[in-house]
Amino acid sequence: MTDLTRRRLLQGAAAAGLAAGLSPLAARPVLAAGEKLKVGVIHMGAISDTGWEYFQAEAWRALQEEFPDQVEVTVLENITQIQDCERLFRQLSIQGHQLLFGTTFSQYASLRKLAPTLPKSHFECCAGIDAGPNLGVFEARHYEGTYLTGIAAGRMTKSNVLGWVGAFPVPQVIYSLNAFLLGARSVNPEATLKIVWVNDWVNPGKEKDAVATLVAQGADVISGSPNTPVQGLAAEEKGVWSIGSTGDFSAYVKQKQLVSFELDWSAAHIEAAKGVMAGTWEPTARWRGLGPDGFVKMTTASPELPASVADEMAKAEAAIVDGSFQIFSGPIRDNAGEMRVAEGETMAPEDVKGMTWLVEGVEGSLPKG
Amino acid sequence: MPDLLPILVAALVAGTPLVYAALGELVAERAGVINLGVEGMMVVGAVVGFAAMMGGAGWPAAALAAAAAGAALALPFAALAVSLGANQIAAGLALTIFGTSLGSYIGKPYVGMALAPAPSALQQAAGQIPGLGVVLGQLHPLVWLSWAVFGGVWWFLYRARAGLVLRAVGESPASAWAIGHPVGRIRYAAVLFGGAMAGLAGAFVSVVYTALWTEGLIAGRGWIAVALVVFATWRPGRCFAGAYLFGGATIAQLFGQTALAAVPSELMSALPYLATVVVLVVISRDEARLRLHVPASLGKPFSA
Repeated sequence: MTDLTRRRLLQGAAAAGLAAGLSPLAARPVLAAGEKLKVGVIHMGAISDTGWEYFQAEAWRALQEEFPDQVEVTVLENITQIQDCERLFRQLSIQGHQLLFGTTFSQYASLRKLAPTLPKSHFECCAGIDAGPNLGVFEARHYEGTYLTGIAAGRMTKSNVLGWVGAFPVPQVIYSLNAFLLGARSVNPEATLKIVWVNDWVNPGKEKDAVATLVAQGADVISGSPNTPVQGLAAEEKGVWSIGSTGDFSAYVKQKQLVSFELDWSAAHIEAAKGVMAGTWEPTARWRGLGPDGFVKMTTASPELPASVADEMAKAEAAIVDGSFQIFSGPIRDNAGEMRVAEGETMAPEDVKGMTWLVEGVEGSLPKG
Repeated sequence: MPDLLPILVAALVAGTPLVYAALGELVAERAGVINLGVEGMMVVGAVVGFAAMMGGAGWPAAALAAAAAGAALALPFAALAVSLGANQIAAGLALTIFGTSLGSYIGKPYVGMALAPAPSALQQAAGQIPGLGVVLGQLHPLVWLSWAVFGGVWWFLYRARAGLVLRAVGESPASAWAIGHPVGRIRYAAVLFGGAMAGLAGAFVSVVYTALWTEGLIAGRGWIAVALVVFATWRPGRCFAGAYLFGGATIAQLFGQTALAAVPSELMSALPYLATVVVLVVISRDEARLRLHVPASLGKPFSA
């Protein structure tokens, strides 16, 4: 990780200008012998101990570890304004960074228009919708993780009521909670899921109250997509289980975190860097779940999770990884009783990505008119 | 029908930071100084309180440290707004921007960390009281302290001579000055009290309410507190009730999503501001009514 200095900036700008002047139609840069690949990462949020940006940071740390002598990573964090992100991406590109990563969906639209104008760099955006000119995207199939944690929840619930703290009703959240209940119902058909929307990605006060609300209504396993340990802590305080959904909070939630899965973007970073170094990088869209090079990893499980349940989860994981089992395969009804996926059919990935309905057994509705 | 006790407890807890911050702001405004820096002072109070807890301090020490930090942040504001007669709105906004950034900076090493939940001994003892213990036992002593602060503020404003002087300063600083009251010093004291209460409110959020630190923790509560003072027409009693009303509205909205017919949750989030607008419209209907409620010198610098 290097710091930005004016000198470097000027050097980079001069070099870029020179290169552009000499060969306006230059091919994509390929590394000279002994030259390091310069990678830039712009985090919109702060890198903390947990949550979304933490996993993004773990990815470039893995990249550094993989290529300690060949890669140099410049990291900028907490760039909250998209205009600043654009300016800094441009600046990093001019400085000679050949591979640039955006960490959030919010940067996608900017990168979409920026990437084609900066052909000396290669761009990758996490959670972007689709690959574009000079822009690759990568996203995790969160629902594979929530499905497995749902199995644990379905087995451990006594009230048969599960709770979900919803950030925003976007497809990413909707398919996650749908798969959570599908997983629970695969082992416990009586299970239902209650949702409370907090309309914020991070709002610990409201999240805590949302957990209390769910518990007061009988939920005894709480999931959601927490960026801080607050949901797990609130659940523990009430004596109910919580799920570390896209985050392991067992360091804080000492007793009652049932299972957790995390996002692991290392493969995306390492593959992109390899591609750029070899001159074979192409903008692609990767959407991966569990598995060796996947973006979803099951992490901790409570010692109180019975071995038989862990076994069921492992079996389901194996079936998902080898492709013999599809989570969104029929018959699936929505919570208004309409058949959405017929018996024998499987939802196309595009349909999963655009999911705007709740599966049977979810109580509540989507907060939009 | 769900059990009402958790709703009540949650509403009391959600309202507590508003009680502190709004009462502090109310005292400052009754002295004629409007401080829009509440949000910033809350952020700094939150991070200082949290850092103190991480450093091994108990909650009373953490609360004190947060109050001191809030007051310290209010000091430059007071210097600008009272001594130099600067525009209070601009100075207050600057304080919010400064405080929010300063809080993020101090909080950097603590982002995402959480405190181990530890009910205080006092709280456990209160849980043993028959009857009330069911509720009291679930409330942190800082919640009880907020009730004492309310009692103190009310008594001070309406029963104490010093409070009468403070109100006089807010209504007519020139008259107060003419009969020998140190207007500047009184306004300083009021602003510092407001800062200390905002700091305490912030610490309540980070130490008791969520027991963690992350950016965006205060999430606009400081602004709600400012709105609440107007909503309460500068009366501590209404301010106290309003804090629980606004806190309760949040909780009711969360419960409403699953238990009752759904009201759009975005609309509920806007409720405190809507309520404030309604109150402003009502009290602004005629000049006399407005004069009756708003401290006459509010926002106006005074120099002797």
